[in-house]
This record gives sequence, C-alpha cells and structure tokens, in this order.
Amino acid sequence: MSGLVSDEVAEDYKNSLEDLTTNDRFQISNLTVIAKENTEHAMAISRVLENHIRSTPPPQKLPALYVVDSIVKNVGTPYTLFLGRNMYQTFMNAYTLVDSQTRRKLDEMLKTWKEPVPGSLDTRPVFPPDTTRNIENALIKARTAALQSQQARQPEILRGRGSVTPTNWSTNPQPNMRHPLPNQPPPTNANGHGFNTSTPPPAHRPDPNLDSLNRDLDALIASARTDFANSPFNPSSQQRLKALLDLQGILQRQQLTQDQLNLVRDQISALGTSNPLQNAPANGPTASGPPPGSTPPTQSVSQPLQQLLNPGTLAGLIKATAVRQQPTPPPQLPNALSQMPQIPQSSGTPQPGPAGPDNPLIAALRARGLLPPASAPPSLPLSGTGGPGLPFMIPGQMGSTPPAQNPQASNINSEVPMTTASIKMVALVVSLYEARSNRCGTCGRRFLSTEEGKDKKARHLDWHFKTNQRMAEAARRAQTRSWYVDERDWIKSREAGDDQGAADPEAAAEDAAADTAKQGPPKHWIRAPNDATLRNTPCPICQEKFESSWSEDVQDWIWQDAVKVGPRVYHASCYAEVTKDGPAPARGDTPQARTGTPDSVLGKRKAEDDSPGHKVRIKMEQA
Amino acid sequence: MSLPGLDLTVVSEERSSAVAPPSQITLSPGTEWRFEVAFGNIVRVKILTGTAELFGTELAESQTYTFTGTKAAIYTWHGCMLEISAGEMAMTTADGVAPTTGHGAGGCQSEYTAEETPMVEYANVHFALETMRQDAQATGKDGPRVLLLGPENAGKTSVAKILTAYATKVGRQPLVVNLDPTEGMLSVPGTLAATAFRTMLDVEEGWGSSPMSGPSPVPVKLPLIYNYPLPSPLDAEGSVYRPVVSRLALSVTGRMAEDDDAREAGIIVDTPGLLSSGKPGSLELINHIVTEFAITTILVLGSERLYSTAVKQYDNKPSSSSTAIAFDERISVVKLSKSGGCVDRDAAFLKIMRESQIRSYFFGNLVPSFTASSALALSASSTSMVTLSPHAQQLDFSALSVYNYTISSIDDDDEDEYDPSQLTTGDTFLPGGIGDDESQQQQQQQEQQDSDRAAPLPGIVGYAPAHPAQASTSASNVPLKKVLPPAPAALANTLLAITHAPNTASPAQVRDASIMGFLYVADVDPDKGKIRVLAPVGGRMPPRAMIWMKRWPGEVVGLVG
Repeated sequence: MSGLVSDEVAEDYKNSLEDLTTNDRFQISNLTVIAKENTEHAMAISRVLENHIRSTPPPQKLPALYVVDSIVKNVGTPYTLFLGRNMYQTFMNAYTLVDSQTRRKLDEMLKTWKEPVPGSLDTRPVFPPDTTRNIENALIKARTAALQSQQARQPEILRGRGSVTPTNWSTNPQPNMRHPLPNQPPPTNANGHGFNTSTPPPAHRPDPNLDSLNRDLDALIASARTDFANSPFNPSSQQRLKALLDLQGILQRQQLTQDQLNLVRDQISALGTSNPLQNAPANGPTASGPPPGSTPPTQSVSQPLQQLLNPGTLAGLIKATAVRQQPTPPPQLPNALSQMPQIPQSSGTPQPGPAGPDNPLIAALRARGLLPPASAPPSLPLSGTGGPGLPFMIPGQMGSTPPAQNPQASNINSEVPMTTASIKMVALVVSLYEARSNRCGTCGRRFLSTEEGKDKKARHLDWHFKTNQRMAEAARRAQTRSWYVDERDWIKSREAGDDQGAADPEAAAEDAAADTAKQGPPKHWIRAPNDATLRNTPCPICQEKFESSWSEDVQDWIWQDAVKVGPRVYHASCYAEVTKDGPAPARGDTPQARTGTPDSVLGKRKAEDDSPGHKVRIKMEQA
Repeated sequence: MSLPGLDLTVVSEERSSAVAPPSQITLSPGTEWRFEVAFGNIVRVKILTGTAELFGTELAESQTYTFTGTKAAIYTWHGCMLEISAGEMAMTTADGVAPTTGHGAGGCQSEYTAEETPMVEYANVHFALETMRQDAQATGKDGPRVLLLGPENAGKTSVAKILTAYATKVGRQPLVVNLDPTEGMLSVPGTLAATAFRTMLDVEEGWGSSPMSGPSPVPVKLPLIYNYPLPSPLDAEGSVYRPVVSRLALSVTGRMAEDDDAREAGIIVDTPGLLSSGKPGSLELINHIVTEFAITTILVLGSERLYSTAVKQYDNKPSSSSTAIAFDERISVVKLSKSGGCVDRDAAFLKIMRESQIRSYFFGNLVPSFTASSALALSASSTSMVTLSPHAQQLDFSALSVYNYTISSIDDDDEDEYDPSQLTTGDTFLPGGIGDDESQQQQQQQEQQDSDRAAPLPGIVGYAPAHPAQASTSASNVPLKKVLPPAPAALANTLLAITHAPNTASPAQVRDASIMGFLYVADVDPDKGKIRVLAPVGGRMPPRAMIWMKRWPGEVVGLVG
C-alpha cells in the first residue's frame, strides 16, 4: 500500500466513506484501520475526510465525524495534526446542519476530545486544547445568540405590528370592519381591507380574557363532541372537533402572541355564532389580521368552510392528488390552501366570496403562513414565521452552507408559536384518536366512548384476561403451530374480534338466527381429534365428514355440532334426531356448523347468502 | 508504531458494548423516531406519555415493546415521550455472528428523529379509502381494492400495514393480500397469502401470528397461503406466478362475496418490488393483478416512471370488476411520496429476516439464542413471546409425493448454487415423460393408500378444484415435476410446503392448491430412503402433495441444532 499514490488512496478512501451512511461500527473501524495502515497518506486522507464531512448530507455527517473520532483516538498523531487544523470549520459546519439530537452526540464527542484517549498512557487530550476550546467558545456564543434572538423575536414582531396601526384597536366589536352582512360572523376580511387597518397592538390584555376564551372554547368543544358522537362519520363534525381541540392545545401551551389570540378569539366567536348553543363572547375584539408580510388570507378565508367540510370533497382527494401530479396540471389556485396536500378539497372549484357562518379556523391559520406546506413547491417560501428562524448563527460560519438549507435545524429551533407539525395534522386524524378516547391499557386499542364502545372494551378486557389466564396455563404444555386452513374453510371463516363475546347479544342472536335454519343444539362441540383415522371417519348416521373450525376461545381446532358417544363421534344433531332426546332440526349440507357457546369462534359473523330479512331472532333451544 | 491508543478497540464510552442506559426521546407532534435494531440485539421501547404508533398500530402507554431485527419508525400525531433501553444481549445470533451493538440510544444500530414524514399523506389515503368503504356500505358495492406498487425498499409493506392498521382501528376488516414471495405474511417466504384483518396488528412482529395450539397475546390471524417457491414473479415468464395469483384472487373474491365485512373494507394488495422495476414482463404481471383483483386504486410509491406508466394505462379506466359499469367504478392512480425513513435492507439482512420468519413459523416468536434465564426475564416484559414445539420425525421419502418446479431462473446466480441437484431432477421444461410420472405417481398413491389409509386433517374434506376445466387444460404445461426416490441430498435444510391437494393430484392442482403447512428437512438418509423432518404439528403426516421449496427460500441452515 505504501506504493500507492496519495491520490489513489484518497480516492479509495473517499469511495469507502461514501458508503458509510449509518452509524455502523464495523464500517467505522474498517475505515480506521485503513487510515492506520496508510499513515503516510494521512494528509490526503484527512483532506478527504474533511471534504466528505462538509459535503455529505446532514444525517451522514455524524458517522463521518465518528470516523474522525475513531481515527484520532486509535491512530493519533499524524491525523490529529492534519485534522486538527481545520477542525473548527469541519465541526462547526456539521454542527450547524444537524438536528438537535445529533448535536447532543457531537457535544458528547467533543467532550471526549478534551480528555486523554481512554486506556492510553498518554495523558494529553485527544486534540490540542486550542482546537477544542475554539469550538467550545463558538458553541457557547451561538447558544447565547440563539437564546437572545428567541427572546427578542416575539417583541419585535409585536412592535412591528403595533406600529402599523397603533390607535385603531378597540375592545368593542367593530361592525364596520366586519363583513357587510349583519348576520355574518366577523373576521373574514374577504375584501382584503381589514387586515392592515385593524391590527390590534400588543395590548396587555388582561388574563380574564384568556380565561373566557378558554371557557368559550371548552363549551364549543363540548358541543362539538356531542355533534361528533351523534354522527361520528360526518367529516365536518370531525374536522370541527379536531380544529377546536387543536386550538385548545395551542392555547394551553400559551404560545400565542396577543394578535394571534385575537385571531383565535374571532374564530371562536364565529364558531360560536354558528352554533345555536353558544353565544358569541361579548368581550372579544373582533378585528384581526395576519401578520404583515404573511400570505394574505383573502383567498383561503373566502374559501367557504362548507366547501372544506363538504363530505364529498374527501372523495376528491385521490383525484386531486392525481391532478396535482399530472405533468401538465390545471392552473392551480393561487392560494396556499390548495397546495396543502393534507386538506382534501376539490381544488377545481374555488368560490371567492364572503365566508359563510362557519369560519375556517385552520384555513385562516394556514393563510397566516403558520404552516409551511409539507409538499408544496419549493418556490413557496417557508413563510413569514419560519423566516426569522435561522436560529443558530455561528460566528465565523462559512457561507458555503447556510443553515437555511436544512429545514430540520430551523424547525427545531424556530420559535413559531405554533409548531408546524401541530397544524400540519389532518383534522380527520381525530377519528383515529380523540374520537376513540377509550383506550385499552394493555394493547393500546381504542374504543368509542359510547355505550357500545364501553361494552366492546369490557369484552376486549375480558379477552385479555382470559388470554392471560390461558397463557399461564399454556406455558405448562407444549404448543404447536396449527395447520393453515384450506380455501373453503378460509372463505367460510369469519374473523372473530376480541371485542365480541358473551355480552354481545346482538351478534349472538344474529348468529343463532343465521344458524338455526341449519343447526340445532348449539352446545355440542369437541376438540378435533388428532388421530388421523378418527379425523377421517364420517358421522355414522349421515355419513358426512366433520368440519373443523378454529375456535378462538378454545384456541384449538374443534368440531362443531359433534358429540362423542363411546368411541364414535356423531353429529350432535344427527344423534339427537336418532335418539329423539331433543329438537332435531334438519342439518343442511352447509358445513359451517358452529356453537352457540357464548364466546366467539371463528365463523361467528357469518354472512348468509339469503337476505338479511331472514335473520329473525329465533329462540335458542337447549338439547 | 508508537501511536497512542493503537490497540484500542473500544473507542469511546458510547461505543462500548456495555448495555446502554435507558434514554428518553421526546417527539414533537408529527414527527417520527426511526430506528434500526440488528438481529441478535434487543431494544425495548416504552411510551411514557402521549400517543405513538408503529406503522399505524398504536402503542399502549407504559407497555414495553421489544424489538429485534427491526427497521421501523414510531410516529406520533400528538407528541410523545419514549423510553429506549437495551435488552439483554444475545451472545451470538443463530448464525454464530456476534451481533453488532449500535451506537444509538438503547443500542440501536441507527436511530434518529425525523420531522419530514409522509404520514399525513398516508393517513389521507386511509380517509379516502374510508369514504369509499362508507360508500360501499351504503350502496352495496365492493369496497376499494388497493394495489401498492413501487420499487424495493420504497415502503410498500409499511404503507400496507399503516392502511390495514388504520382500517382495523376504525372497525373495518380489510383483506390483505401479499403477493411478494420474498417475504412471507404470517408465513414463510416463498408464499403468497391473503388474510382478513379485524384485530390489531402485532407491534413487534409485523403482521402478527397465524393460529397456534395455544393462546396468543395478540389475536392470531388466519391466513390463506399459496406456494410460490421462486424468488421472482418473473421466473418462467410469470407462467407460475400468474395462475397462483389468479387462484388467490379467486379465493379472495369468494370471501368478499360471502363476508360483508370483508366486502365493504376491500382489499389491500402488497406486491414485490421487482414488479415495479420495469423489467420486461413486469407490466404484464401488474396488469394481471389489476385485472384479477379488480383493482380500483393504485398507489405508486417512489417511482415517477411507474406512476406515469400507470396513469397512462389505468387512470380513470373502469375497473375489471363485474359491477364496474353499474357503479361507474374507475381506477384511480395516486402517487405517494416515499418515506425518508425507508432504508435499503441489504441482502444479508433480508436473508436473516427470511430465516427468522421460517424459525418463528416452527418455533414461535422467540428471540434467537437466549439463555434460559434471560428468556425467562424477557417473558415478563415481552408481550408476544410464544414458544412453539415442533415435532421431529422420520418420513419414508418414497411414501411422499414431492413436487419441484423445474424452471430455469432469470437470475443465473441462483442457478449456480443449485446446479448439482438440478441435474438429478431434470431440467426439461416440458418433459415428455410426464405421463410416466403420472402413472408412477398414481401407482405409488395406490400403494400408499392401501397401506396408509390416512385421513385428512381437521378442516380438510378433500380437495375440490374450483376450476376443474382450468386445471385439466393447464395440467400439461405446469413445470412441476415429481421428485422421485431416492431422496436428493439437496433436500436437506430446505422446506417442503404441504398443499391441501391429495397426493394424486395433477401438477396444476398441486400448483393451485392452498398450503396447509411446512416441513423443514433436517437431513436426508439416501441409503434408507428416509428423511428427517421438522413438522409444526405432531401426528401422522397427511397424505398430501408437497412442493419442494428448493429455489426459494432455499437452504436454511441451522434451524435444527
């Protein structure tokens, strides 16, 4: 290897480095060994490492820096010299671009550089103190600067706002600022004139206002919950509830500036007026506006909420997605909303005009530019709020890689009152979480908070309990994988939920009814015998073979409608018929017999081929 | 050399092999924690506060979840705090390779928090599907049939899991179809499967577990399995893949027709990445799948080219379902972004993953090579550890009817490994002597049935092909050939798939038959004509035709110590 030219070694090393994408110990130690074996090319290798760390994408910087760490600790001198020269730039450059978690790792690594190599006799630190001290100082400065700029930002914004229209603000509702229609709710600003005339100053709103806001919000949420419970699948109520819950979360985190509070208040009062149960809060100042410089809300706000919440628009999602991605898309709406993939809407039908009685809170917030669209065209600026957030200014930072290139870094530290992620959420996710607030502590399954949901949860917990019991028992005997079912059994089988059990009279009755035509006494079943001969022996009476089905309850294959008399197994119904000791319904040739044992078995919710009208409730008879 | 710290193997505290202390990670809403755990390592995750989900399945608060051999992401809609801790280290994996402890929290190979995720998109797909399901419920038409397309490692299976998990969460029961033979669903690799999901997916085990004789902490799923013992659907120009897919589609359609819950919830079809690779013949196979399953929604992940092809070919075209015209059912093609968390799984990882799937089929979901004490300790915290006891037994090879696919592969690499045995079984595509085989085979059957009047297992009443016509016409050109005694030595360490077809069935019937289970051939005694196998269930071996999964998943060494 000593015969190789530095360039070749460097090239090789560069290639190997490029393969290092994760924090892989083997690769790293491998690269260390290569470096160790090529100490005569240390300069070239160091240069390659520096270049690599500078150019590699942020997620891969840490592994690369770990290579450096490994080399300087394992190999030492030539590398510490070469790498130490530019360590400040290398380190700070990487540090600026990585996320906070990686930064923590870098901090830790830096700490070890100030100490001697563990296990080494040499008491000198890994890098000369000068090198590490420079970096440390820069980091401290940067942290302080970031902190100050955070603190400074909010007042600055408010000051900027207040200076525009310091005198216009009033605590009284300003009907003239509202939409001309008297019964229209306030803050629509559909004409686009409202927002630069009525911005409230960062006035020192007394806390009671916030309290009342919270009270109003609570009441609204309560009513929205009721709505939602009544029609859980109505997207508009879902969306509304979701919006309110989001808003509540935002408020509780108290991250809002005053004018944002105003905006929120307006939204609430609007929602309140649209809700007969709720009076608009009287103390709310109504005028509000977007922060200067953010996207004017006109289009978004004028987008009627009905359109947003129209259940039909959801169906348009797929189409809309497709349309958006066609090579020659139709002219897009100029508003930011249409670029939000997370809002299902029919993008083809913008309806400018006055907002309806429901005020699109989320839309308005979006319009304020508070959320950079997730997959918006890159030309769309990260919006006004993200703007100030290049929070981590490194003194002496080289301009080649401005931190702005890394959205992660700016997201983490940006002081946007509402985090982008919190608004980026789909309103409908509420149907997966909040709407199902009743959560199983064991497995995380969620249930509706309705009576039905409670019943289901009770049965589900029973299921857990029984399963745990059975698991304890089963630990004593060997368990085996069962055979897979064949096509016919699979087609006939029905998934048994863990929430359907004895307490589900509805299903049981349906079940029984569905079955009764074909099957009589429900109680008879036996475990399917393991012996092959026995398994293949038909019922001596009807000469039909037995059907096995999987019993969730027994956790074994069972024969339904079977009874063992002496050494022979009969269909219980056949046997009953012959011995005349009970009702003897004709046993059809549909094989899927089943128990009426209260617990669920596979095949439970069998769909019958006859019409549902036949599923009359029939009294179950005991044999 | 006198450089300092030369012989240092442990470079820093962080990279020491000692068990890392538990670390806490706070996720803000809408972010996810991506982590990779090597096989043989164990990482435990606990939700301290908030909500979190792994591929759509919500994690319970304060429950410890154990991961090994996993590359996954925990996403949160509302924000959460996770506690990550390292589990006991397994000293070696089954392969004797010392596991790599990662450098990340809890010994993850790699872990980081990501803010950019396509989860909103995926969730919206779910809601769009939910709308279609409500529509199906109201009008009585079939629910959405979704096809996932995309290259390898684009996150197709993850999206399938997310969509399935969300659907079950809102009480739906979708039919999930796995058409990827390289990875099994509730089964071993080399199979195609369909399963109705009503209950939660298993957070730790991917799809969950198929029925066992004992209870399972997560409700078991009942899959319908078909055998496709070849790595690529394009092998033999799709002449094997195609009929098996058709057969699977037939069963799924049958289930939809009878099961209202399944009909409303529709189908989610996961495909092998190879189909989206643009290789010749792959578009035809995609078309076959679209037709057979009457696909209504095509989701394309991470391939612009495929997306544009699919749009051209399918977008807004009527679906192939019989009711398409009545309901004006049209196919929509949607492009989804690939998650930045998708990582390439290298060949070694995939191999270990396949082996672990096979191992868990026979032995349950146990963490490999655990000492008894640590396994005991684990059982307290791990929620899904079930140990199974397969049965070892000797079988007379001449009494079995084992079939083998005799086709040449597209990948010649594979061929090299197997060449010696390939010679013994014959390489002809359409053997002229198939008639001889048949008669021989029947003779054998006769003998066997005389001596061994065995009954089918519970649940099997005899195999009745739904398409006798199809079976008989295609019988002549099925590249399935019976493996005649003596037992080839290459049988050792491979799997045999037991079909539901009787051992007198024609090759086409064998090909189309669903699978009852798998045998692992531990070793072959050519002199005595016996093979020692590992069977999932004890008792006499059912007289069923078997398919030798020689090509895929191929040899699995070290399953039986």
